[in-house]
Amino acid sequence: MSAEPLLAVRGLTKRFGSLRALDGVDFDVAEGSLTGLIGPNGAGKSTAFACIAGAEKPTAGSVRFGGREIAGTPYHRVAELGIARTYQIVQTFADMTVLEATTTGALLRRPRLRDAVAHAEDVLAFVGLADKRYRLGRALTIADKKRLEVARALATEPTLLLLDEVMAGLTPAECAGAVELLRRILASGVTVLMVEHVMEVLMPIAQHVVVIAAGKTIFSGTATDAVRDARVVEAYLGSPLEHGEIAGHAE
Amino acid sequence: MTTAKPHLLALGAIVALGLLAALGVRSAVVLDLVFTLLLYAVLGQSWNWISGYAGNISFGHAIFFGCGAYASALCVTHGLSPWLAIPAGALAAAALALVTGFPTLGLRGHYFSIATIAVAALVEAFTRTAPWLGRANGFELPIASGWAALQFPQKGPYVVLALVLFAAAQLATIAMERSRLGYYLRALRANHAAAASVGIDERRVKLVAFAWSAVMAAAAGVLYAQYTLFIDPPSTIALGISIDIALIGVVGGIGTLWGPAAGALVYVVLAKAVALRLGGAGKGYDLVIYGAIICLIAALRPYGIVGTIVDALRRRRGAAIAVTASGAATAVLFAALPAGTARAAGAPIEAALAARASWKLTLAPGCALVPGARSGDFTVECAQR
Repeated sequence: MSAEPLLAVRGLTKRFGSLRALDGVDFDVAEGSLTGLIGPNGAGKSTAFACIAGAEKPTAGSVRFGGREIAGTPYHRVAELGIARTYQIVQTFADMTVLEATTTGALLRRPRLRDAVAHAEDVLAFVGLADKRYRLGRALTIADKKRLEVARALATEPTLLLLDEVMAGLTPAECAGAVELLRRILASGVTVLMVEHVMEVLMPIAQHVVVIAAGKTIFSGTATDAVRDARVVEAYLGSPLEHGEIAGHAE
Repeated sequence: MTTAKPHLLALGAIVALGLLAALGVRSAVVLDLVFTLLLYAVLGQSWNWISGYAGNISFGHAIFFGCGAYASALCVTHGLSPWLAIPAGALAAAALALVTGFPTLGLRGHYFSIATIAVAALVEAFTRTAPWLGRANGFELPIASGWAALQFPQKGPYVVLALVLFAAAQLATIAMERSRLGYYLRALRANHAAAASVGIDERRVKLVAFAWSAVMAAAAGVLYAQYTLFIDPPSTIALGISIDIALIGVVGGIGTLWGPAAGALVYVVLAKAVALRLGGAGKGYDLVIYGAIICLIAALRPYGIVGTIVDALRRRRGAAIAVTASGAATAVLFAALPAGTARAAGAPIEAALAARASWKLTLAPGCALVPGARSGDFTVECAQR
């Protein structure tokens, strides 16, 4: 018998009015893996994320997590079930310190404040923010804000971590630090699904890549196969020109 | 998370001072001011739970105050003990909060505030027409005396009771700030989407806060009815009372432990004490002054009196130090250091910085610390590599 993947997305569809943001997306995330979700701008990556995390209710389709149907489950319940996320545009608790914000995440599984603070301290040491724990969230650099988002999500002790463009806007040095943190998160046993725009970042670390374009899954496989796949190349770069097409237009 | 000790000490000092006043002061005018101050501080704290910590601005808070006041009047006029009014009023207020909060607490922006005004208007209209609630005439409570009747010929015992209520409200808030509820409310106020992403059930958490907020206001209502022995809609549930409560919370500083007490102090000293001297001829100067203060706070210090103090303390501790790097060439530091230190060079600055905050600053070769325009602003300038 084959083990069910940790996350199985089937026919995920999301319509905003007449716009089909997602039009039947299918993919799996294996337990313990790092799966990359990529696609050109407007492909529906963030919408897919929102539907899995419960921030948006999918119009149709199924999201199975740990053998359980979670499509349409309220946002906060999904977090309780073990899915945590970060935001593409960082969403900090502006007037909380780094430690307080992380403690807020830890309180999900540790209702006693003392336990939650102790756990938050551990998480901050893990992500490398321990020396900034008394800073206000709004006073951090972008790289540290993103790190804080990861800390807050990890503090909820998730089984599956959804990372939405954690590398965007980081300098190469900061990116390297983030990749190193990702490796440690994976080593700790957390499964990761990450949306990433920067392909080069994803290539060396993702075991599995899912490419979506125009709301549909167009590729699922290894990262090296993805860049050779004709459909993926077409989605990113457009279709090859017919011979004489440009000349025809020029006339 | 800061320690609760200074707050407990301050509370102890206020209670001791209040007890001295209750026992030693003879002037009925002064005791009336102290009683009013404490009562408004409790009402402000009640409002602060849902509007300050949770961030849902209520403009109908007087209806919960009214629940307590009317529970008291109903108990006494029906021959029951006024002590029974405390649980009865609290239950009624909590029920009212849950019923009205369930559909409205998820409303964003000003819509919750508008809903609270609508609900309060409905409750007031209902009270004004319901025979069993005394219609527009209200209730006069029959005169009695002693602890069983919760009525006293002197004002001293009322001040003691108000002190007990105030201490209970402050202790409950100290505990709330250091609990899951407090963290969750602050998270929801800051960012409801991010709060949901860490498993916070907005409606449930806010309903809990709203119910406790209502209970606090109801307890104050019982005490008020027993004090004035006369209640009617304008003195308990009218929109004007709701706005007074909200303004106390805003003036003092929303979402802070001592904000409501500070706001109540400003309100009572100005609105009541000034009214005694100036407002008597119906000129309403007190309202002009109070209104001007509110305008000033709204324009200059939107976090209120206590919010401003907290901010200043935080700056001093260096917790709000911001380091913004631009291309790794320049960094600006905001630290509360005396201007003199800034002009020293090299090692003394590093030592001064390290001594004041939990972070260290190591200047790279070729970098210099330059004092900024304001005292406490520094710029780190580095030679471009």
